[in-house]
Amino acid sequence: MTRRSAASQVLLALLIGAAVGCTPSTSGETSAVPELPDLTKQAPSVQTQVREAHVRLAALVARHAPAGERSQAFGDLGVLLMAAQFPDAPQVFLDRAEALGAGDYRWPYYLGHFYRKRGEPERAREAFTRASQRSPGDVASLVWLGDTALQLGQAEQAKAHFAAALALQASSLSAQFGLGRAALALNDHRGAVDHFEAVLARDATAAAVHYPLSQAYAALGDAARAALHLRQRANHEILPADPLMVELDTLLDSPQSYETRGIRALEAKDWTAAVGWFRRGLDLAPEHAALHQRLGAALNMLGDRGAARQAFLEAVRLSPDQFLALYSLGVLDQEDRRHEEAVGRFIAALAIRPTYVEARLRLASSLRRTARAADALAEYRRVLADDAGREEARVGEVMTLAQLGRHREARAVLEEAHNRAPESVALAHGLARLLVTAPEAGVRDGRRAKMLVDQLVQRGRTLDLGETMAMALAELGEFDRAAAVQRDLLTAAQRAGLPGVVSRIAGNLARYERRTPCRTPWAEEEWP
Amino acid sequence: MRGGAWLAAALATACGGAPAKGPTEVAATPAAPWFSERAAAAGLAFEHENGAGGRLFYPEILPPGVALFDADGDGDLDVYLPQGQPLSAIPSAPLAPAGARLYRNDLRVAADGTRELRFTDISDRSGLTGPGYGLGVAAGDVDNDGRVDLYVTGFDGSRLFRNTDNGTFIDITSASGAGNRGGFAVSAAFVDIDRDGWLDLYVANNVTYATSNTTVCPGPAGAPDYCPPQIYGGQRDRLYRNLGGGRFRDFTATALPGLTARPGLGVSTADFDGDGWLDIFVANDGEPDFLWMNQRDGTLRESGLPAGLALTGEGKAEASMGVDAGDFDNDGDEDVIVTELTGQGSNLFTNDGSARFRDVSAPSGIGVRSLPYTGWGTAWFDFDNDGWLDVLAANGTIIAQEGRLDRRFPYDQVKLLFRNLANGRFEDVTAAAGPALALSESGRGAAFGDIDNDGDVDVLVGNNSGPVQLLVNKVGSRAHWLGLRLVGTSGRDMLGARVSVVRPGQPVLWRRARADGSYGSANDPRVLVGLGNSAAAPAVRVRWPDGSEESWDAVPVDAWTTLTQGSGRR
Repeated sequence: MTRRSAASQVLLALLIGAAVGCTPSTSGETSAVPELPDLTKQAPSVQTQVREAHVRLAALVARHAPAGERSQAFGDLGVLLMAAQFPDAPQVFLDRAEALGAGDYRWPYYLGHFYRKRGEPERAREAFTRASQRSPGDVASLVWLGDTALQLGQAEQAKAHFAAALALQASSLSAQFGLGRAALALNDHRGAVDHFEAVLARDATAAAVHYPLSQAYAALGDAARAALHLRQRANHEILPADPLMVELDTLLDSPQSYETRGIRALEAKDWTAAVGWFRRGLDLAPEHAALHQRLGAALNMLGDRGAARQAFLEAVRLSPDQFLALYSLGVLDQEDRRHEEAVGRFIAALAIRPTYVEARLRLASSLRRTARAADALAEYRRVLADDAGREEARVGEVMTLAQLGRHREARAVLEEAHNRAPESVALAHGLARLLVTAPEAGVRDGRRAKMLVDQLVQRGRTLDLGETMAMALAELGEFDRAAAVQRDLLTAAQRAGLPGVVSRIAGNLARYERRTPCRTPWAEEEWP
Repeated sequence: MRGGAWLAAALATACGGAPAKGPTEVAATPAAPWFSERAAAAGLAFEHENGAGGRLFYPEILPPGVALFDADGDGDLDVYLPQGQPLSAIPSAPLAPAGARLYRNDLRVAADGTRELRFTDISDRSGLTGPGYGLGVAAGDVDNDGRVDLYVTGFDGSRLFRNTDNGTFIDITSASGAGNRGGFAVSAAFVDIDRDGWLDLYVANNVTYATSNTTVCPGPAGAPDYCPPQIYGGQRDRLYRNLGGGRFRDFTATALPGLTARPGLGVSTADFDGDGWLDIFVANDGEPDFLWMNQRDGTLRESGLPAGLALTGEGKAEASMGVDAGDFDNDGDEDVIVTELTGQGSNLFTNDGSARFRDVSAPSGIGVRSLPYTGWGTAWFDFDNDGWLDVLAANGTIIAQEGRLDRRFPYDQVKLLFRNLANGRFEDVTAAAGPALALSESGRGAAFGDIDNDGDVDVLVGNNSGPVQLLVNKVGSRAHWLGLRLVGTSGRDMLGARVSVVRPGQPVLWRRARADGSYGSANDPRVLVGLGNSAAAPAVRVRWPDGSEESWDAVPVDAWTTLTQGSGRR
């Protein structure tokens, strides 16, 4: 090799090095842009998205762009890789973003979540601490610091973090809930109760509170409250408002990402946005059966039943096992009173997913309306065999027994169910209705029914409960009072614009005016 | 921490010697690991095959369980390993019997006490032919003939094999009535629920599944992956009553009122409320766990929620794969450990003696240290024989590991070993234990038992699409120990029998004979009790599964002793 060619080689190497960032830069950044992980299993659109972000980053590094720009580019790529759920790759990009982005709390915040999901709470705590230091007013950072402290068994520290969060934002449910969790960890059961009850006072739907609250009450010896809250437990989380993590879920250009955004829009009842997201996902993956099914659901909510049906049919065409689409078609048929077709759809859905309870309940409903009450009864009982506490199935079972003329058996079933769950409005109401309307005198008990209705009225008045009240009065011979109640109900139904209900109420009113009690426990339009 | 880093740390620590003990000093020789991996060297040349070929069939992610049991009745533990194979989406395509293996333990003990572990593959004459895709295994003597039978689980029913003699078996599935037809099970447990002297069978079913309805669940970036069990829907468990002689009847409907369909995995049977009747704990994947409390009338009542055992202390239903019950705090009752997914941490529940539980995962130190891992097979065992139960977990992630796509099944993680510090806390001593625990595989089942009969508990680990591992304990036998085999008059191991060990001047130790627990695996049913530096022969009292109790005085230390029901002092 000649001296000139050697020099050329060196120059070439320098140029190549510069192109990939092989030059010294600010503290915390090595010269090379980290390589990407293996992207081959990701959707093509995501591969393109990630590679383009990598090229942009490399270009910024190569031209020694200002630290802030490079920080943003490193962070964008790191977050993109986090969104794609790579378990390791995001770290180096987020580290570099943080090193270059002085004062920007986003990168250590994302790192905190990255470590949290990897099950590394110490590193998560360090990262959230840095985020909190950079943005002292960020409530989410403090709440997550509290959460990681609890994971580390450091309840006192957790308490301090949650308290700080609450001081910044008095309305923060997650901070209040966190204080309760910390109190529980410290065996301060009275304190835990106070905090958890405060959460419920602010949001009665915060179901995640019920289990730990029940534990706290149990520890205090209050078995009744412990049991009450245990019955209400649900597997929801109480999370801080977290716009950064929400944004993470919207980053990817993938069918799955659009599906997620569409589902969020559905949950927010923004049907138009949901349709938009699902269609964008289908642009990337036209044969994505689940997206067609979701699109159908959103179109149905917008009232476009025809387009919804087409979307469901497409889902089934693409994937005959799409049981949700089959179920949805069945629902449309049922709502259109095409019960025979609905039966076929629900049976097909259940053949794929025998445990899909909603499909089985709707199947039972359509069977009842196609003169197959015995088959319907079998379906309700199949649901109950797996979950004896499923109220809709129990009510369906009882109504079907009544439809079959087996009122005595219906009463026995209701009595047992009511004894097991005395707090259930549906079961108590069903029992009362049967006790006043069963054709067989031996099944009826007007006085008991009236007592049940009086108790239920204390908990809330509804049209159908009012009808039962009138039925009870009629059964007890108080036809004038029954008629008076019925007239009030008629007025209410007319004002509410419920023609089917009006017709039924008017029919019974005529009976009471003829001094005749009602002997039909449930009209067809009352069936579930 | 990645595999290489673990290995480096383990070697460095091993060279520096074991850390000091709590109540008992166990002499640690420099450069001598606590466990030595000996599978291949001992003749266990077995590689599990999950058949994964990119179709992401759900069963591929679950196996294998493993079994330690005395197949030939010669007093040492033999090994049974279920096997998988490539699956097909064609429902009518039958599976040929898979290559499950039975290895006979030909342990040789020299006059000077040195032991040579050798296993011989006796599969071909064993009669253990299937099922076509084995997931897990349970062991128990179903006909009280003194020979241990095997129940091998699968995703399309299970098989019961009766041990005829000397390691040969016949398939009695059809005749037994315990085939779990249409059931998808990983774990099962033999347990005498009704105290009639016959082992009944609890089968934890997982999901309603057929290969033809396999669903692929892409991640947010579109990468295809296995679906969680909730996509398929849970399947109801089954409880079979043993009518005698290995005939069973499904009495689920009457015995388990209110049973709901959940994706069951690990099963552990124990007397959780101390009333002398055996109860059943079932880990359900992603849904509340079951605690079936024996009502003493042939029925069990599901009590997980009110007992505080169905969910974490914060009310979350976590993954829940492997389980075990054991008295880790030596207060006389059965506590529970459950392994979980990465990010959840194993859950430890302490029992107040009346089957009311409290989540102590965080204060124990186990929760936080296990967070990075997805745990499967696990058990309480006193690895150093100091009298306090420690715990080991076989780990393996369910998310493909980056940078390991060259591996056939890139879901590997290292194991975790926690030493009980005797104060409610545990120390992660994995690195100190030696390189054997740093071997990174897709760990699933783990069976615990004294495979070389030297007085400490060894561990057999099944790895998904990987080699079986035999972790031979090198330290426990340095302390004193008590080995008990608890048998009935028929010679059957009395699973569920509880034993109290009364040591002079020291707290009573409570242990239990059990083959169930862990994940899809069968453990050594014998009871090995660590005595630390106490050489005095203790008194032992056994509460048999039928409720009767007997005592023995001065049971020999540092030896295996068989206690037969009826031979003790009432």
